[in-house]
Amino acid sequence: MMKTKEEQKRVFQELLVPELPALFRTALRMTRNREDAEDLVQEAVTKAFAAFDRFEEGTNFRAWIFKILTNTFINNYYRLRDRQKAPSLEEMEDETSFQPSFEGVTPEEALLNTLTREDILRAIESLPLEFRAVVVLTLVEGFSYKETAEILDIPIGTVMSRLHRGRKLLQKLLWEYSTRKTGMEKENEKGWTAKTL
Amino acid sequence: MDCKDLVEKLYFYLDGEVLSEEERRAIEEHLALCRKCCERYEFERLLWDMVRHNGQNDHVPEALIARIESVIAQF
Repeated sequence: MMKTKEEQKRVFQELLVPELPALFRTALRMTRNREDAEDLVQEAVTKAFAAFDRFEEGTNFRAWIFKILTNTFINNYYRLRDRQKAPSLEEMEDETSFQPSFEGVTPEEALLNTLTREDILRAIESLPLEFRAVVVLTLVEGFSYKETAEILDIPIGTVMSRLHRGRKLLQKLLWEYSTRKTGMEKENEKGWTAKTL
Repeated sequence: MDCKDLVEKLYFYLDGEVLSEEERRAIEEHLALCRKCCERYEFERLLWDMVRHNGQNDHVPEALIARIESVIAQF
């Protein structure tokens, strides 16, 4: 039986409200700008309600609305300037990687101890969009590989390969931030410099 | 399962992606016996927990909630 507009609104709101924090932070990671993130969420919510009569109750609302959000982002917000800002993949995947070493502490411990929330967000937001989207949806929002494939409309194999490369890029950036910090501390303390790139 | 197999399956395991019961048990047995893989697993687990935890820590601005409520009211 057809729902009245008011009933539709009520059901929509009940499903939407718990997802707002995740939608907002995902919009923030995508747009890298609070104002655009708010506009993006508002636009996605408007589109979602307009399409809500085609949403099958009992199916995955979270994946459905994330799909609308990511499509809206790609269509309306991912402008040329954003593409230009992102470093090239070749730059990011430059394999002259390094193995930092700090006396008495394993490099892994140093990494985990020195990373801040700002480092983590900066690293995520530095990833090229195709990797950022997969990393945010799976590693931050906890969508399965299959759900992520459906949200982004890409094959599951592509999700897995982008996630693998996204993780590698993210780790590389986090190692760089950590080494820069730990290197500086050591330098101040003992005139010792950590190995850098 | 050897260390190479473990590296291949580690992220599936960490991400809670479907593995067979047999594969999951083989990973857990290997982690219990191999110190190197166990250390790698612990590091990866802590690192990606940090990424998730910090990535989820944004508050929705009150102004956005008000905007959304007003948009819904106008539908």
